[in-house]
Amino acid sequence: MRSLLLQITAVTAMNLKSLPKRFWLSLSTVVAVALVVVVLLAFLAMQNGFQHTLDSAGAKDVAVILRGGSQSEVASVIARDQVRLIEEAPGIAKGSDGKPLVSAELYLVVDGIKHSSQTKANLPLRGIGQEGAAVRKGITITAGRMFAPGSNEIVVGKALLKEFDGLELGQTVTFGTGRWKVVGVFEAAGSVFESEIWADLPVVQSFFKRDNVFQTVRVRLVNPAALAGLQRYLDTDPRLKELEAKSEAAYFAEQASRTTDLIQKLGWPLAIAMAFGALAGALNTMYSSVAARTTEIATLRAIGFGGLPAFVGTLTESLLLALIGGVLGAAATFLTFNGLSAATLGASFTQVVFSFKLTPALAAEGVSLALIVGLVGGIFPSIRAARMPILAGLYGR
Amino acid sequence: MTNFMLIRKNLFRHKLRASLMIVCILTAFAIFGVLGSIEHAINAGQDVAAADRLVVVNKINFTQPLPIAYFDRVRAIEGVQQVTHVNWFGGYYQDPKNSLIVMVVDPTTYMEVYGNELDISSAARQSFIRERTGALVGDAMAKKWGWKVGDHVPIASSIFTQKNGSSSWDFTVVGIFTGKKPEVDTNFMVFQYDYFNETRALGKDQIGWITLRTASPALNDRVARTIDQMFANSPYETATDTEKAFSKAFVAQFGNIALIVELVVGAAFVTILMIVGNTLMMSVRERTREIGVLKSLGFSGGRILRLVLGESILVALTGGLAGLGLAVLFILAIRDNVGGLLPKIILSPEIALLGLALMLGFGIVTGLVPALNAMRLRIAVALGRN
Repeated sequence: MRSLLLQITAVTAMNLKSLPKRFWLSLSTVVAVALVVVVLLAFLAMQNGFQHTLDSAGAKDVAVILRGGSQSEVASVIARDQVRLIEEAPGIAKGSDGKPLVSAELYLVVDGIKHSSQTKANLPLRGIGQEGAAVRKGITITAGRMFAPGSNEIVVGKALLKEFDGLELGQTVTFGTGRWKVVGVFEAAGSVFESEIWADLPVVQSFFKRDNVFQTVRVRLVNPAALAGLQRYLDTDPRLKELEAKSEAAYFAEQASRTTDLIQKLGWPLAIAMAFGALAGALNTMYSSVAARTTEIATLRAIGFGGLPAFVGTLTESLLLALIGGVLGAAATFLTFNGLSAATLGASFTQVVFSFKLTPALAAEGVSLALIVGLVGGIFPSIRAARMPILAGLYGR
Repeated sequence: MTNFMLIRKNLFRHKLRASLMIVCILTAFAIFGVLGSIEHAINAGQDVAAADRLVVVNKINFTQPLPIAYFDRVRAIEGVQQVTHVNWFGGYYQDPKNSLIVMVVDPTTYMEVYGNELDISSAARQSFIRERTGALVGDAMAKKWGWKVGDHVPIASSIFTQKNGSSSWDFTVVGIFTGKKPEVDTNFMVFQYDYFNETRALGKDQIGWITLRTASPALNDRVARTIDQMFANSPYETATDTEKAFSKAFVAQFGNIALIVELVVGAAFVTILMIVGNTLMMSVRERTREIGVLKSLGFSGGRILRLVLGESILVALTGGLAGLGLAVLFILAIRDNVGGLLPKIILSPEIALLGLALMLGFGIVTGLVPALNAMRLRIAVALGRN
């Protein structure tokens, strides 16, 4: 047993020491594996970043009330009388002033100029009620101040500043005939709200000729369990029957799934297709490695080494090359993509700004794929090495 | 013995090695074919858009409505030939996941503006104008859902509701149209504005946008300016642009798809360039002695160069063509399953030609160094080298 281990160590060391002789071919395998990992991880980091942005917006104790069947806020319509009735619903938390934390909101799409392409893109303009900021958690104004009620002032989410032109503090923005002044920038813990523009609800309603029209009502619940009571309240009142309450977490999870599904459906198949290419490269390299060492392996066998050390030696070489490729790929992804800001069209038909987010767990997925390539690419050449007939090997063929 | 036979024999002497190289190239070209076609499909709207077609949208954003009165005012502008108005319906069939491209249109003027793009039979034209609940369905959409002329289909909207509270409208398929060119997407349907306007709960007499044709593309700028000035400082200001610019901006909203495609395809090509290039170099080096023999038999340096380059080009073409073939099969398989909003994916002749050029270029790049080495090889060195 001990001698077998010694044999394996010796052969593996010989394998690895001879790597420089096949430097270019080995390097091409490493690069091929690294590129597969970069492609996979870039897509996974994109998906994860997008998911994170929507997930962190969703609180379990905030309920979003929409017209039933509406898949996003843009499509929902709620009347003023209904808003008043919702304010009296059970299970709603009260603010410090004793008023229920309820915010009726109007969600409109306006044009912004995307920084990267200099083309028009859809931005969400949200008219929020007085309690709008209080209903949500973790909203802080980082620069300037909140808009004054009744004025044509807006506050802008921090993420928008990175991706869009002309929204800086103090700028005047025109939406149609309306002119709005940017008086503040807010942060919302990296959530999707940072991709929004907020203004005072009555002002938005009158500027956009939507008087007395609301789209959603957000309420802060006393606790997550109060959601069921709220839905029962909506169901029993015939005037509220068509409305539906969802936890904000569930609402955003639904919205995220459509985009993230798509990214995932692209990322994995592409990476797997590329992995086949890299696999062909790895097989090639390892078969060449075995071929180059034919005489060496046969000599070892002739002086009493077993087949197993030749097998392990070759497999180790392959796995090592793949591992180097995998780690290089993960490192390259981290350096180039992690934190990269991007914006795409979300489920509400407006831009969602998010950052690529590479986690250690994702990096591990990438390295695992690399090791699978190394394993499959190494195993067949290793078998050939182990089974090499001694005589043929010694004669060189 | 012809050159081609020599090339073929050389390449497939190591069957496994040749197959592995071919698999490697095949993968890269399959990725190129599929991604290139998807990107092409996404951008197709810009290519199809006629140069003389303009789109008038609400200046705030194209999702904001315009009043229907604008339609007649635009029609009266000099230089405007045909005008129609369109409303996005946000349609889906049975399940919200089955999104459909459904547009609410004014039948007569719609068929005028798009008449040179869509092939609509005269019977279908007449019934579409006559029947209030009639819908014209593109053949791609009809095929996907198995709809035939005369079928009654309920289509729900994720945006609008009827006065009776329902968000589903019933239609009769009165005609199925095809595209006059293969790149025209027909995965959509249109129905009558009047039916929609009378039944909708909110937003009566509003339209989504106006599409018009000018008498000549040279008039585009002037007409666009006239329209936007006419509605300036009104409650509904407009932004007029060519249909091409409009769809380009819309596609850009999803992100830089072209860049993503280029990066992935680039990564795939760098991979094969390194793997195949190195393998070819190695395999030619192994044949040093043979090349010496060929030369001593009187093969010229040029012929040796051609033989080695021929080998690299042959391997690139074999793998590349098989890869494009695989891409076509893949596209055919996914075409009916991808989301309802993506236009028709085809591997266009341009992509195939670009692929072919890439194969040749790739073959030359990977083969050039070993080929030059082989050409310059001196017989004495070759036969002496071990």
